[in-house]
Amino acid sequence: MSEYFDRIQAGLPLDDVEIIDLHAHLGPYFNMHIPAGDPGRMVRIMDLCGIDKTVLSPNLAGASDLVLANTMMLEAVASYCGRLYGACSVNGNYPELSLDELDRCFQEPRVVMIKVHPAVTKCRLDDRRMNRIYEFASKRGLLILVHTWHDNDPYGNQDIFASVAKARPDIRWIMGHSGGPFGSVHAMELARDLPNIYLDITLSMCPARQIEFFVMELGSERVLFGTDNPFIDPRPQIGRVGLARISHQDRVNIFGANARRMIHFE
Amino acid sequence: MATAGIEEALVYHTAARDAHPPLGNSLLIEEIKDCQGLSPVWVILPNHTGEMPPPGQLLGEMKARGIQAVRMYPGRAHHSFSLADWCAGELLSALDTARVPLILDTEIVSWEEVFSLLKSYPCLPLIMANCSYRHNRFLYPLFKRFQNLYVETSRFMGGGTIEDVVAHFGPHPLLFGTNMPQYTGTAAVALLTYADIDAEDKQAIAGDNLRRLLGEMWP
Repeated sequence: MSEYFDRIQAGLPLDDVEIIDLHAHLGPYFNMHIPAGDPGRMVRIMDLCGIDKTVLSPNLAGASDLVLANTMMLEAVASYCGRLYGACSVNGNYPELSLDELDRCFQEPRVVMIKVHPAVTKCRLDDRRMNRIYEFASKRGLLILVHTWHDNDPYGNQDIFASVAKARPDIRWIMGHSGGPFGSVHAMELARDLPNIYLDITLSMCPARQIEFFVMELGSERVLFGTDNPFIDPRPQIGRVGLARISHQDRVNIFGANARRMIHFE
Repeated sequence: MATAGIEEALVYHTAARDAHPPLGNSLLIEEIKDCQGLSPVWVILPNHTGEMPPPGQLLGEMKARGIQAVRMYPGRAHHSFSLADWCAGELLSALDTARVPLILDTEIVSWEEVFSLLKSYPCLPLIMANCSYRHNRFLYPLFKRFQNLYVETSRFMGGGTIEDVVAHFGPHPLLFGTNMPQYTGTAAVALLTYADIDAEDKQAIAGDNLRRLLGEMWP
């Protein structure tokens, strides 16, 4: 039985472990109703379950207005210092604009990562127009979070992701969603071969024992906590990790220690 | 279930879904007979092909065996029948009269079919499974109009959605669900235990709403 069983059953926040959400969004999106999509309500939900910090990139970055999305991110980060952090969104179809956005956003020290969504931007992760973005990440030692899915996505499926991670060992890559609910085995195999790949647990369809599987096969040091908040409510992910049959140290690593080792949070 | 802190569950057999309902239904009864906390759900078909008994006989068997709800898989990609009156009308009317909860997977029925069922069978408790964070805009107008619509919460995970549904419609339409063993129950549990709603409303969603529905069967 998990050491957090009683607290989770009672709905009490996990306040003795640092929890850092590296995969979150912000604001509205065209094809869904998001009741708690504003920064205030996101932080309220973080408080309820014990999430200390959230790194976010607005929902509309990929398919709509990149600059507006990054501006929304910067405003949220400024409004909730120490709680909300930014991932600068980029779009390889607009490489110059993306580089301008990187320069603009990374003037704010609480912007700590880069977010790429190949399936929505419809720009392949290995498109040569992405190269200068990767140079920017490499020079600054930034993590890049990439949406991935275990399917025939021609822009950024798990294999394209792994080929880029292999070609750019100077960058640490987060495999967003770890390829989705049917991508766990392939995600683990790819991560085992490439030490600069990190697995993200964010999912709404949460496979039974996936956390235990990752820890057993790969170790907990390269498994990262994420939620998709507010697309997906972050509280289920607290249950997934908090009640998983893993050691306390593995839980601490996944919840936040791994992120803390890689990112300097102002 | 113990890992997640879940005490009871309604369960069906995957062979009833993926092979043949009568086969899976009989396997289910055998496999859970000694399992405390598990209650059976049958997968059913209209009886026109003789694969299942006529509705009156079927419901008699269900009552005798303690079946708590039914699932149906209409459509050509699944069990190849229609929910329309000409095909499933007699069976649905029998379920409506007996108030046996019907569980349908949101991924395989249209919202027009859901609307039609709710309108045609006002006493039939219709539980939509697999509703996700993308379904609120379909569900809210139906919640406004129909008291016999329910959603199980295994994937109903939009940010703040539990609180929003409870604020607008009360806890009554929500039933705790996990989709175990495909998904983990630990995520579904935390969605509810951390919800920013009254303890009474949490208890309703956790089990009381379903218990009330089951208590209203066989009037």
